[in-house]
Amino acid sequence: MTTLPTDAAEANALADSPDRAEANRRTPDSRPPRRRRPVRTASWYVTALFICSVMVVPLLWMITIGLKSRTAVFEVPPRLLPHEFNWSNFIDGPKAINFGQLLLNSTIITVLCVLGGVLTAMMAGYALARLRFPGRKLWFYLFVGSMLLPGVVGLIPLFQLYKSIGWYDTWLPLIVPAFLGGNPLFIFLARQYFLAIPYSIDEAAKIDGAGHFRIFTQVMLPLTRPAWITMAILAFQASWNDFLNPLVYLYSSEKWPLAVGMASFISAFAGQTPDWSYYMATNLLYMLPPLIIFFAAQRYFIQGLGSLGSTTQK
Amino acid sequence: MAVTASAPPRGRRKKAPGRGGMSRNAGSDTRAAYLFIAPAIIGFTVFVVYPLIRSFYLSLTKYNGLTDPVFVGFDNFRRLFTVDPAFWPSLRATGYLVVLYVPLSLAIGLALAMFCNQRFAGVRIVRTLAYLPVVLPAVATITLWKFMLNPQVGLVNTILEKLHLPTSSWLGSSTMSMPSIVLVMLWGVGGTMIIFLAALQAVPTELYEAAKVDGAGSASVFFRITLPMISPIMLLQVILQTTAALQTFNQPKILTGGGPGFSTNVLMLSIYNNGFSNLGRIPQLGYASAQVWVLFVIIIAVIALTAKFSSLWTYSDNTPD
Repeated sequence: MTTLPTDAAEANALADSPDRAEANRRTPDSRPPRRRRPVRTASWYVTALFICSVMVVPLLWMITIGLKSRTAVFEVPPRLLPHEFNWSNFIDGPKAINFGQLLLNSTIITVLCVLGGVLTAMMAGYALARLRFPGRKLWFYLFVGSMLLPGVVGLIPLFQLYKSIGWYDTWLPLIVPAFLGGNPLFIFLARQYFLAIPYSIDEAAKIDGAGHFRIFTQVMLPLTRPAWITMAILAFQASWNDFLNPLVYLYSSEKWPLAVGMASFISAFAGQTPDWSYYMATNLLYMLPPLIIFFAAQRYFIQGLGSLGSTTQK
Repeated sequence: MAVTASAPPRGRRKKAPGRGGMSRNAGSDTRAAYLFIAPAIIGFTVFVVYPLIRSFYLSLTKYNGLTDPVFVGFDNFRRLFTVDPAFWPSLRATGYLVVLYVPLSLAIGLALAMFCNQRFAGVRIVRTLAYLPVVLPAVATITLWKFMLNPQVGLVNTILEKLHLPTSSWLGSSTMSMPSIVLVMLWGVGGTMIIFLAALQAVPTELYEAAKVDGAGSASVFFRITLPMISPIMLLQVILQTTAALQTFNQPKILTGGGPGFSTNVLMLSIYNNGFSNLGRIPQLGYASAQVWVLFVIIIAVIALTAKFSSLWTYSDNTPD
């Protein structure tokens, strides 16, 4: 299989990839020299390219639509690149749905959900992993078991409950659950992280006279940073992306988060053709915060979910 | 001191319970622990226990959300199964979605994970991009796909035409509407991939090395090492993906509104429309609760069956944790 022209072929394949530098950096270290298989390498890159385009092309096309004029969107057959660039869509589009207000709403709701979700899950995880108390196994199993409970069961009774205490059409149904350990997955993740920390650390802190509150805030939280950053990212995503809950609990459009506002952008005006170029420009702005966080904190996404995978496997 | 010494051992044990080596300051630990998990316990009671009981009660009532619920026994269920013309189609649509989505999502997710578990230049880029759609807001991606699937000006048909492949009216056709929804859902397959990737990376490399020494082919390596080693994660994924697919709401709500006909009117959409529809109809919360319970029982049954038969196809090395 290893013949002379292979090297040239692989070198070509690498030259075409944007990662050439990375590949060169990696090959010389400890690993033994790879056997070179040109057909396989080429087919890998073709597959990789295919996967990447399936994921990226829709997003690029969204940007294209966002730049097109309102009429150019309906050209048949569609042009893949816009004729002229209507940057003004990025200003007029958001204006059309009162984007500023929706963004503010989404931000407030999300920040509070992240804060509450992470804090209460970390507290519960600390208690379950590091304190001995009667009932700790029971509570752990109940919390973990509730992960399997379908959310739909709560939909109607909770709607009624919130309505009866005057929380309908307020943000409270979206925020308060986060402050009550609303995500059992987070409790589970927090507990797994806390279990991995040596107990001698709390003992040392106790000897120094620290109480549980101080151990939690000053010793444990710094030590479990990757855990709560991961959770914060997941909580951000869940809240920013949530559609069903705000749709059910919020009636007034000035209280909507972006998810509901964006959905109404294209569906509320039934019969009327939605303004796709405005919509896609605004959609991009809606996607921007999760995109930025994703690229900034990539390793936490992978790490956090990876740890979830390996701990459930044990 | 003397009093404690003469006291019967029972009393002493009560003071410092010997269960599993509780520490001497068990009392203060217990108090602190319950302070720390109090929010979670309140949440569990309010968001898990209460809704379970209440929604079951509501399913046995006629309830419009304004006047008090009227107990009607199993009348809602009888109406669902025998009278309602929309119920069986919605059950069929839900089943179709699960049967189409879950195996595809697992197969593609695993294939992607295996691909991304290889070492080659640029693999991190592929991994990142494959996961990218998962982090984007559902509403944003679903509406994007709604436009992509537009029969006249959508990108999907445009590309198919350029390649001289058959096009479709996608969401407008009652036979293609559900496959279209599944297609949109599969764009988020990176979520499945990332879990499988973590599972694959946890497989000890010695196993692969041993197989290589024995001259095993790639098929037998896959079926005898990879698949058995990741089977616990596979089981978890089957359960999670199925329960999630049974509760699909966003895609049919935004893409099709349940149509054309009842082709994509999944159970969750039907529940939403019966319970919260603002189409000028009176909400039927009791009736919707009955549908919730049908869905709930299906979900529990799926979990129970998957778990029961898991020993047949999952690998366990029987070492206690």
